[in-house]
Amino acid sequence: MIGSINGKKVEFQDNETILSVAKRTGHFIPTLCEMADINHAPGTCRVCLVDMKRKNDPAHHIVTSCTTPMEAGMAVLTRTPKVREMQRLQVELLLADHNQDCASCIRHGNCELQDVAQFVGLQQTRYHYPHFYLQRSRDTSSPSVVRDMSKCIRCFRCVNVCREIQGVDALVVTEKGLSTQISVRDHLPLGSSDCVGCGQCILVCPVGALAEKDDIEEAMDYLYDPDMVTVFQFAPAIRIALGEEFNLPAGTNVEGKIITALKKLGADVVLDTNFTADLVIMEESSELLQRVKSSAPLPMFTSCCPAWISYMEKNYPEMKEHVSTTKSPQQCFGAIAKTYLAEKMEIDACRMRVISIMPCTAKKGEAKRDEFIKDERPEVDVVLTTREFARLLKREGLNPAELAPSAFDNHWMGDYSGAAVIFGTTGGVMEAAIRTVHKMVTDKELSQVEFTAVRGLENIREAAVDLGEGIGVVKLAVAHTLKAAGQLMARIKSGEASYHFVEVMACPGGCLGGGGQPRSKHAYQAAREERRQGLYAIDKEAPVRQSHNNPLIRKLYTDYLEKPLGHKSHRLLHTGYTDRKRLVRHTMKEIWQEIEERT
Amino acid sequence: MAKVIFGAWDNAVIDNRRKKVFEIEEYPEFSDFDEFNPGNPIKAFFGGHGFFIFEKNVNLLDAALQYMERVARESCGKCTPCRVGTQIIKSKLELLTRGDGTPEMLDEIASIAEHVHTTSLCGLGQTATVALLEMIRYFRETLEEEIAGATPVVRQHCTTYVSAPCIEACPSKVDVPRYIDYIKDGKFTHSLGVILQKYPMAATCGRVCVRFCEMACRRTQVDEAVGIKVLKRFVADHEQDVTHDWFSSYMIPEKKDPDLKVAVVGTGPAGIAAAYHLLLKGYPVDVYEAKSVPGGMAATGIPEYRLPNDVLNKEISIIETMGGQIFYNRRMGRDFTVKGLFSNGYKAIFLAIGTHKGKMIRAAGEDPHLKGYDFGVDFLLRINHDYIDKGIPMKLGKKMVVVGGGNVAMDCVRSALRMGVKEVHLVYRRSQNEMPADHEEVEAAEKEGVIFHFLTHPTRIVSEEGTIKAVELVKMSLGDPDESGRRSVTPVDGSEFVLDTDHVIPAIGQKVELGFITPDEDGVAFNSWGTIKVKNDSLMTTRKGVFAGGDCVTGPATLVQAMAQGEQGARCIDDYLTFGRVRFFPKDRMSRLVADVQPMIDSGVNIPVKHEYRVKVRELDPDVRKQIFEEVEKPISVEEAYHEAQRCMRCYRVYSVITEQ
Ligand SMILES: Cc1cc2nc3c(=O)[nH]c(=O)nc-3n(C[C@H](O)[C@H](O)[C@H](O)COP(=O)(O)OP(=O)(O)OC[C@H]3O[C@@H](n4cnc5c(N)ncnc54)[C@H](O)[C@@H]3O)c2cc1C
Ligand code: SF4
Ligand code: SF4
Ligand code: SF4
Ligand code: SF4
Ligand code: SF4
Repeated sequence: MIGSINGKKVEFQDNETILSVAKRTGHFIPTLCEMADINHAPGTCRVCLVDMKRKNDPAHHIVTSCTTPMEAGMAVLTRTPKVREMQRLQVELLLADHNQDCASCIRHGNCELQDVAQFVGLQQTRYHYPHFYLQRSRDTSSPSVVRDMSKCIRCFRCVNVCREIQGVDALVVTEKGLSTQISVRDHLPLGSSDCVGCGQCILVCPVGALAEKDDIEEAMDYLYDPDMVTVFQFAPAIRIALGEEFNLPAGTNVEGKIITALKKLGADVVLDTNFTADLVIMEESSELLQRVKSSAPLPMFTSCCPAWISYMEKNYPEMKEHVSTTKSPQQCFGAIAKTYLAEKMEIDACRMRVISIMPCTAKKGEAKRDEFIKDERPEVDVVLTTREFARLLKREGLNPAELAPSAFDNHWMGDYSGAAVIFGTTGGVMEAAIRTVHKMVTDKELSQVEFTAVRGLENIREAAVDLGEGIGVVKLAVAHTLKAAGQLMARIKSGEASYHFVEVMACPGGCLGGGGQPRSKHAYQAAREERRQGLYAIDKEAPVRQSHNNPLIRKLYTDYLEKPLGHKSHRLLHTGYTDRKRLVRHTMKEIWQEIEERT
Repeated sequence: MAKVIFGAWDNAVIDNRRKKVFEIEEYPEFSDFDEFNPGNPIKAFFGGHGFFIFEKNVNLLDAALQYMERVARESCGKCTPCRVGTQIIKSKLELLTRGDGTPEMLDEIASIAEHVHTTSLCGLGQTATVALLEMIRYFRETLEEEIAGATPVVRQHCTTYVSAPCIEACPSKVDVPRYIDYIKDGKFTHSLGVILQKYPMAATCGRVCVRFCEMACRRTQVDEAVGIKVLKRFVADHEQDVTHDWFSSYMIPEKKDPDLKVAVVGTGPAGIAAAYHLLLKGYPVDVYEAKSVPGGMAATGIPEYRLPNDVLNKEISIIETMGGQIFYNRRMGRDFTVKGLFSNGYKAIFLAIGTHKGKMIRAAGEDPHLKGYDFGVDFLLRINHDYIDKGIPMKLGKKMVVVGGGNVAMDCVRSALRMGVKEVHLVYRRSQNEMPADHEEVEAAEKEGVIFHFLTHPTRIVSEEGTIKAVELVKMSLGDPDESGRRSVTPVDGSEFVLDTDHVIPAIGQKVELGFITPDEDGVAFNSWGTIKVKNDSLMTTRKGVFAGGDCVTGPATLVQAMAQGEQGARCIDDYLTFGRVRFFPKDRMSRLVADVQPMIDSGVNIPVKHEYRVKVRELDPDVRKQIFEEVEKPISVEEAYHEAQRCMRCYRVYSVITEQ
């Protein structure tokens, strides 16, 4: 079909929206709520106005381009004086309802609302009614996500992601009129709700309404306290994403620059979570083999992802015996650093502070779980997301892009294998485990290091590996996004599918798409492919590519842990899970009262 | 007849301000606009397309403010212009009515009003400022006079009303867009709560309602009607486990005097809805039922494959959970009488006994005592009650002829197949187009293998020794439509043919089964067409304190109409017991005024909307389902429900009237 935009001929399919046609053909229209990547066009911000004239109707209409389909013979104008004026008024109205204290806002300089205000040429705001937004809530109850609804523009992207991508559906819409806000189901504080802390909602929020819980101050306290020994770890997915915050191309490996930056910040020991990722593989693989040989419940699920653990505990507690008891790499790191490393480096563990840099907001919650705090001493003291780490560096005047790289230099924990690096992508834990399980069972390395059958981006993938006599074929499945995990779980529980080993990562793409990673505007997971390639490239180049071949892992077992699943391992590296299913009891009276208040 | 002094509707201006009242032309459209209720003249009317002023002394600013207050209260807050714009307009109008404004403010109000009108997301915002804009555009000098005149303005008597086409079409006036909104918002419990405000049988209605709302749905002008019914079923099924808990813990706000006992006769949809609302209002309620099972035609008529009995029973049990008592096997006229009920201390009675007596075809040789002859409703009753519930085997022959074109006939033919009848014929005197049955039902019956004979009618029933052997049929031809639009039919001479059959099932209608009442003694009278006579707005029969509703008043109708009358009956009984009379109900009056202005509205959707097709409901395979009574339609998923809910365009409109008192 053919129509025109700003006098230029455009071609399009039936039912394609004006906005989509305009984007495709290079006509810019400002938007706020729309997000094509998640198929989201709720039409609530009403900023994407255009002038539209239908074929057999002389009248011009102002319509929103995100909800109006292009028709044959339709003529669209995107920049008439009327359109510009109405867009300007729209943003002005939006700001009347917005707690606009940009200078102290987490999104300052990186805000889609600021962008739009500039685009429409807003020069004044005539309407100031603080009670319009001050009645809305600010929720800091979650260790992972902070929600400040006074800044919410009701784009509903967060609701969409939590519902359609994650299948958690923790967010609901409450109230009406000016008090309309995104709330947490059943009026709960976010921290005690269905929310699993994955932070995916933060990645789509166009403004400063959603953000990670900021723990930079605590990290700085330790860095600047001369009595404290700070031990830093950073996760595999940090090195290929941090660069984006400093204008480096997505996927650039800045591992060496991070080490330099941390040292400049005053970190006492700089290490890599990759080391304990290798350790996790040793423990988890042994656990899998033990389960396959004994009659322990199968399939066994991976346990590295705290958002997945939380989802499982809240929704499928009856399956908790199916989850590997091995702690996540972050927690294994804390446990080993405060024992083994402290002993070897002769540091008083009480003075040691472990700070991790993670692509993940849920890791903040994980570090605060009771079982990871012994004698009031947490295994991991502070968790910073990639974004917070970037802010910390900026606050300290450091730009990694300009720093020379350096290398790890620790004799006890300062080495890792390529297998550990791919933990950062979906399928990575599975692939790393297969590399090691194969060796454990057959005493031979896989003929081909890369077990590509589990790679890819489909939300649920299946594979099988033949481990030869005694064990036979082991059936594998990989799921990313919690919605996929829920679907897989339903199939497993109904008996429709059966596996030996299942990897689950809550975030799309795995940790590289974590809720703590750099945000992209108007796009969801925009840098996924580059980050993924970045990780696989590091693995490819790694001198050692299997966890069991990491020399320092071998040393750790010889010198300290003795053997996987041994006595010490059990004490330091394994954990258990709790039933956290929430039972809701509404009375009809409450429900009717709420409905009436809204009527 | 009300005379319009000035006003505007869709930018057509009426201005009679310079004329003397008696000179003003009378418009028949406003014949109903004289009084709101007796002795209370309507002074002005406001809607989403404009406004009419019927008396000179109406203050426009105050009328606009009160209208805007309601709009701002109704705004769902999702889109920017309506959420913020209506509030700003409201606060500017407040300033003006307080005397703190200037005429220049009208320009600012107009520019925001124009913006709200053009750029709002849904019908509410799009229409919210139309009347105000017309006022400023065409009658600005009146507004300026008011601004200059005495202030602060005295608030006028104003009644506001918010509705949508689907709500207006629904006999129970279920707030459809609201329960769909709650689905969009992720709050299924609240969604069900909206439905339960009207009746307890949500899952039932979500399965078998005839969907007046969907026929009126504005989305049909874009692509297809919103799946209102399927969404209702979705929330009711999704929340089924909580329903029981809700009501067991429901505290009735204020219990009425235990003396004020009410008796309900019949446990069909009308009786159940009445009992439900009476219980919610705090009355002690006893329900009497002639059969041993509750549910009326929903239980004994509607077949299991469309409405599983346990779904219905669970919803009826709400009555008992709330403290109502149901007495079974108690038939009025046999086991008790109206008089007896009153002397047993009941202060009001609601009759909801339905229409249970089948109508005969009036063919030669027809005799209800013939073996193989069964009325449709009796045939279905035996299947539902004796065969499915109690497991009593039913012996049926190989061939059956069902007569009729409505839903009852469809239920008979589809049930007969499931009972193992090999050859099922449906005979209907008009053509397929005229069939009153749901199009979906006809299609389903065709898929399952029913043989249809349109434009055919039985003339004689052939029997031997009291057993049906065959039926003689004649072809019919369609004439021109008569005044009511229905086309007459006449037999085609010489087209008679004979069909062998073991059964003839007339399913051409039902009437009230007489004998439950002795009109002279009980004082309850009937209409000439055999239904119970009631006053329209109070549902009171000719006997004081006795009310009636449902099929026994309307003649065979639908579940939701029966439930609507049940609710109305409960409200009227409450009024009767509290005030001794049934009061004026402003909502019903507003609803009538809204209906009056509909012809003035061009209902077209003149801006293209992106097409999103309606959810497809999965069905059991016809070859499997025709052998069993398992429910045919499968539930939709949560994802599908979210998607379907997004299709609703929220066609809310705000209306208001300014009245004398
Ligand atoms: C086969 C069939 C299919 C239908 N399908 C649909 C459909 O798909 N959708 C729809 O909306 N509507 C449908 N209807 C119509 C709908 O079922 C009725 O309109 C509705 O049930 C009427 O409700 P009611 O309460 O007025 O009467 P009923 O449902 O008839 O209930 C009356 C009750 O009163 C009892 N009773 C009768 N006499 C006495 C007495 N003397 N003493 C005590 N109790 C007595 C009866 O046993 C019965 O329980 C169908 C009807 C039939 C027959
Ligand atoms: S969200 Fe954007 S516009 Fe709002 S205060 Fe923050 S930076 Fe400013
Ligand atoms: S953090 Fe994850 S689970 Fe929690 S609200 Fe956001 S998207 Fe939903
Ligand atoms: S919190 Fe953010 S993502 Fe969610 S609706 Fe508000 S502005 Fe949009
Ligand atoms: S009621 Fe309609 S117009 Fe008003 S805020 Fe909601 S979506 Fe927008
Ligand atoms: S689109 Fe929604 S509000 Fe409009 S008539 Fe249909 S169901 Fe009702």
